[in-house]
Amino acid sequence: MSEKPSVSQSKSYANQLNFSTLSNLGEVPRTMNDRRRGLKARIAWSLSYFTLLLVIAPAILIVGHVVLQALPHFQFSVLTTNTTGLGGGLKNEIAGTLVIVVGVLVIAGGLGILSGIYLSNYARSKVGNFLRSSSEVLAGIPSIVFGYVGYIALVVHFHWGFSLGAGLVTLSLMVVPYVSKTTEVALRQVPSGYSEGGEALGLSEGYILRRITLKSALPGVVTGIIVAVAIATGETAPLLYTAGYSQNLPKLAVTHSPLGYLTYAVWTFYNQPSKAAVQLSYDAAFLLILGVVLLIVISRIVVSASQKHSENR
Amino acid sequence: MFESASRGEVKDTVSSGNGGSELHKLDPSDIVLKTESLTLGFGGSTVLEGVSLEFPRGSITSLIGPSGSGKTTFLRSLNRMNDKIRGYHRRGEVLLDSASIWDSSVNLLQLRRRVGMLFQRPNPFPMSIRENVLVGVKAHGLAKRNDFDEITETLLKEVGLWKAVSDRLNGSPFSLSGGQQQLLCLARALAVRPEVLLLDEPTSALDPFSIELVENLIAKLAPQVTFVVVTHNLAQAKRLSHSTAFFFQGKLAEHGQTNQIFTAPSQLDTQRYVSGSIG
Repeated sequence: MSEKPSVSQSKSYANQLNFSTLSNLGEVPRTMNDRRRGLKARIAWSLSYFTLLLVIAPAILIVGHVVLQALPHFQFSVLTTNTTGLGGGLKNEIAGTLVIVVGVLVIAGGLGILSGIYLSNYARSKVGNFLRSSSEVLAGIPSIVFGYVGYIALVVHFHWGFSLGAGLVTLSLMVVPYVSKTTEVALRQVPSGYSEGGEALGLSEGYILRRITLKSALPGVVTGIIVAVAIATGETAPLLYTAGYSQNLPKLAVTHSPLGYLTYAVWTFYNQPSKAAVQLSYDAAFLLILGVVLLIVISRIVVSASQKHSENR
Repeated sequence: MFESASRGEVKDTVSSGNGGSELHKLDPSDIVLKTESLTLGFGGSTVLEGVSLEFPRGSITSLIGPSGSGKTTFLRSLNRMNDKIRGYHRRGEVLLDSASIWDSSVNLLQLRRRVGMLFQRPNPFPMSIRENVLVGVKAHGLAKRNDFDEITETLLKEVGLWKAVSDRLNGSPFSLSGGQQQLLCLARALAVRPEVLLLDEPTSALDPFSIELVENLIAKLAPQVTFVVVTHNLAQAKRLSHSTAFFFQGKLAEHGQTNQIFTAPSQLDTQRYVSGSIG
């Protein structure tokens, strides 16, 4: 195509505009503008690929490193024995992390979804704006500060001691903003025709919310919950201050129930001189990553099952 | 008269009640819905002033008028869809079977079951076609589980959608065409046995063929259901309705038999609007 002489030399521009003289569009010769556009597009694509690589590479490196370090020496006894001293297994930490995940799911998930519903459907603009900025401030507070406040308020002042309760409350408050924000945004994106149609049919507000709007907003809500739970599983600082640590299986009591969790193992054992301790640290990191991946897969399945009749499919 | 031949299924149920049109006869003393000097507005502004209209049972009434004349605000007030809008205020009354719809004893959900609504843009819910038909029935507890299949079939046949969807009742409603979606919404609205259906430009997003389907259906259903239709399609108002109300500049300018409004309006504005000089 590029070998052909430019049409502007052989034909007038008016002639080019006469589409009936073109036997097919493939024969339209490339102009200077076309070439410039092609170059621009190629540069834009290269930049996009490069930045994509920048984002993905660290993830691949970290996951790859952890998996390579953990898998060759991984023993299933790690799952079934408690930590003893600087060795043993991770059973108590796994159980602790699971308890924390479930607790955060219930507390932060519940609070976040309810406040998201309130913000999107009911809050007057002034109240809503105030609550929204409060929530953003909450999301911006460093986790170590949460831990310290949790320690002072719950562990010391209320005499809860290092405990599951103090850890859960602290972590949940930390991640609630993520759930409420995504819930609110997702609900706002639900077409207004859904709730109007429901109202016109005489369906109650609760029915419309449960059966129609919340269901349609579920992908967004679940994304928020996943982010929240992933943050909660990955945090160490606030838990060190509030949940303490224990080499026993977690006690299901709100107060005076210190418990172990995987991030503690990652953090503590990695700095130990013994090889077994470092190995345990990698095992814990590996299990954490596996857990989060599993969480994401499960949520995808749930979401796709719920969106079978979605408008966007 | 040519039209009545092309609408065979309608012909049986209707008789000439409106100067040559093929609509069924009405009992003008049997008023199902009535507004009394209804004044509506939002915030500091008044949208519509002093509208008194009567809707005989089984009638089809068209509300016509330029955009911004208050038709839709009026329509949405008839089943209290405006109540939640901030700054909404009203004076006057809307009486459903002689009882105020704003009376404290009125159950809002029941009111809307009795006075349903169909919107400009088809809005099926994100659930299966079958669930869409049944959602009102289930929420209001109108039937037993055993009857659900039969109800679904009856309603989808009623709106002429059964053949098209009988093999994919559990499929997504969004796989249907726009016209079919609107018919599905109509089936959903009919499922709760409304006495009045408010239609807000129900066919303006549809193709001519779908429009004819919806219009035929309205004409067929009218003896059992009272229709109030906001439309910008003057030909539709002419074809479809017993009476026509012309809204202009925030007032009910004229109301009368459709035939009279289109052939011998008493107001100059009406005459100019229906003849196409304004609007």
